[in-house]
Amino acid sequence: MPNYMRSRLANGINLFIHPTVKFKTILVQLIFHRALREDDVTESSLLPSVLQRGSVNYPNRMAIAHRLEELYGTDLISGVTKKGERQMVTFALDLVHDQYLPGESSLLKKSLEVLSDVVTNPVLDGESFKEDYVTQEKEQHEKLIKGLINDKIAYSVERCLQHMCENEPFGVFKYGSVERLKAIDGAKLYRYYRHFLRESRADLHISGDLDAAEVSALAQQVFGFERGVEEALAATTVQKNIGDVRYVKEELDVSQGKLVLGYRTGVTYADDDYFPLLVYNGILGSFPHSKLFQNVREKASLAYYTYSRLEKHKGLMLISSGIEVDNYERALEIIHRQLSDMTRGDFTKEDLENTRSGLRNQFLVEEDSQSLVVNRVLDDMLVGREENTTELLKRLDAVSREDVARVSANVCLDTVYFLTKKGGA
Amino acid sequence: MVRLLENQLLKEKVYMRQIAPGLEVFVLPKKGYVKKYVTYAANFGSIDSRFIVEGEDKELSVPDGVAHFLEHKLFEDEEGNVFDRFARLGASSNAFTNFNNTAYLFSCTDYFTECLDLLMDFVQTPYFTLESVEKEKGIIEQEIRMYEDNAQWRIFFNLLAAMYKEHPVRVDIAGTVESIRQIDKDVLYKCYRTFYHPSNMALFVVGDVDPGRVMAQVEANISKRNYKELGEIKRIYPSEPAELGQDFVRQELVVSQPLLNLGFKERDLGYQGERLFKKELTTNLVLDVVFGSSSKLYNELYEEGLIDDEFDAGYVAEKDYGHTILGGKTVDADRLLERLTVGIKVAKKNGISAAQFEHYRRKAMGEFLKSFNSLEFITNNFLAYHFRQINFFTYLDVLQSVTLADVNSRLHQHLVEDSMVRSLILPKNSYSHPG
Repeated sequence: MPNYMRSRLANGINLFIHPTVKFKTILVQLIFHRALREDDVTESSLLPSVLQRGSVNYPNRMAIAHRLEELYGTDLISGVTKKGERQMVTFALDLVHDQYLPGESSLLKKSLEVLSDVVTNPVLDGESFKEDYVTQEKEQHEKLIKGLINDKIAYSVERCLQHMCENEPFGVFKYGSVERLKAIDGAKLYRYYRHFLRESRADLHISGDLDAAEVSALAQQVFGFERGVEEALAATTVQKNIGDVRYVKEELDVSQGKLVLGYRTGVTYADDDYFPLLVYNGILGSFPHSKLFQNVREKASLAYYTYSRLEKHKGLMLISSGIEVDNYERALEIIHRQLSDMTRGDFTKEDLENTRSGLRNQFLVEEDSQSLVVNRVLDDMLVGREENTTELLKRLDAVSREDVARVSANVCLDTVYFLTKKGGA
Repeated sequence: MVRLLENQLLKEKVYMRQIAPGLEVFVLPKKGYVKKYVTYAANFGSIDSRFIVEGEDKELSVPDGVAHFLEHKLFEDEEGNVFDRFARLGASSNAFTNFNNTAYLFSCTDYFTECLDLLMDFVQTPYFTLESVEKEKGIIEQEIRMYEDNAQWRIFFNLLAAMYKEHPVRVDIAGTVESIRQIDKDVLYKCYRTFYHPSNMALFVVGDVDPGRVMAQVEANISKRNYKELGEIKRIYPSEPAELGQDFVRQELVVSQPLLNLGFKERDLGYQGERLFKKELTTNLVLDVVFGSSSKLYNELYEEGLIDDEFDAGYVAEKDYGHTILGGKTVDADRLLERLTVGIKVAKKNGISAAQFEHYRRKAMGEFLKSFNSLEFITNNFLAYHFRQINFFTYLDVLQSVTLADVNSRLHQHLVEDSMVRSLILPKNSYSHPG
């Protein structure tokens, strides 16, 4: 990994400082780790929105927004993401480095103070969040849950995963459910928040042109709040043995059908076989030179987009494609053929080498993005990988045709999901 | 001759040179970056659908979606697929077409010289066959179908089709399933000959590179092709009346809640360069004061549940057209419309204060500085502004030249009710949320 310094604040928050001179900004990410569970995700994904409604020093949304604008448009963004069977709740700051602002010398400190106030010092009504804030944010959150349908590509992928992993934590939707949302009120959410803040594993990443000692002291000062004992987190389960392929069709009044195929690979980022799997997925479908793009799109003209991607912490692979509903059988047949070609080792040396070069490029350019660097470190931490880019590239270089064949033998189709027109195929 | 433009505050330099017969080349060195990002763009977009082909005297009217179709087809030549050749170099290539330009690009870490030649070679080598053109129709048809299901896309194009009576900005960039069926290789060659001459193109290179060597390589690549000088390209845009085509348009789609967009049609048109840039920055300051996330109006609407945090307002400034579009998802489009209309009236009555003006200008400055981390952002903006005779590096200077009087007069002049279009997407009643 590009160099960073890791330490621990007195309250147990892991601090990662990434010194780099090439960016104009400082990026801060405060990440809370939660187990991905039906009885937790609704609360954990609602919480950041309620916190952003007001803190003691900035008591409403408008006051927070106004202060951030004053700080040269510092962004404060929260979000939730799934990494395997963990829910990551992230609060991020993106701000201009002082050296580009004549007369400014402490924008990071001022921005961190806003973040800290929002996350650790919410405006309260006794032992409860303000009820009107919670009620309004519950309404917004319900719209967010129901709004998944507005993006048909994301919707079809999520529905496929929900069917495929219906009996596993991974099948849980990251924004939770409307039913659980209904039961939440200000007092309950505040109790949850106390536990969340004190007992979740938490990482604080700060990236930019920084003095590590100075920033570490600043982080200790701003995020010195008291915490308890961290909750243990279960490892992600990786299922390998599956029964018959499950076929799911859903009808909506749409113009284009969405075909999503979910596979079990049995391999995650923790395994040595992850690199052969990455190459496998690359030859199959993650580039324009890949088999899916060349055969489904360029040769058969069936689709505009068609790709495969890995869920690297859960050991899954997904293929997604937008097609004319009448072409369902044809597209499926062509996709199946690409997978069987892979299993038979029917790909050229050029396919292998082009994919290797493309992946190498992807690893290298991560260093040009502060958020991608943080994301890599987060992925590494989750699986206990301690290798820098050079070492990862060595692993990539070592992948042979036989390695690809070995991982391809374990790639098993689990679920075929098709979003189709009303009365369509 | 190489011209150097330096921005002290940004701590960036861009080297510029015009290479015969008229290609504008820009190099922005980014020390320490691993990635090199290069875009080769033609000043040819979806709105260029009527023109006079070089050497002919009759006007040609081409089917909608030709510029985008041509973009797809340039990726193939006699040797096959261009993607494969970039892949061999470990690079990734792509392209996009908008209303005004077509851009071809790659990003790489190694083999920069080879990639740069490959980009220039494939863009300068059109190869269209009957077969390959027919094959592309199925692919683009699926691209069009994909956007037909995209409510954000539909509300936007519905709005433009209502706002404009004549101007081709009212037509979808990719055209329609019917219009692309009329495209053949002859029309592609005619467009290519007219618009893909170096003097109608620009090249932007950003990354840890040596500007002198890049310039020399580009010159060598261009000079061996013996281009003749290009006469003036005669583009024909219909004259667009000030009034709206329609003031209301609606469509039903499978969505979880209604979407409402309001559009304001520009009347102050016909110029490019710094004046256009200043109008754009002035308008965006006005929109930020009235509709931004720290405005009173935004926060009231949010608390009432009428908008969510994706609510947005933005302005587009071109020589022959311009518009503000604002809005987002809502539970009650009628009520949101009423509140926005009243909000604009109140904003005009109150005017913009000196404190508000300075506050938002400071925010705009910070946002501009932050965006210079992204090689893609730098390139896309530099080229898009270049084709409008604007140097993007002057952003902070132009922003400083805007006055309080400018924003107040713009507020009154631009956000006027008789230039306003409403575009609405309603949920198809057949849909209910699963689970």
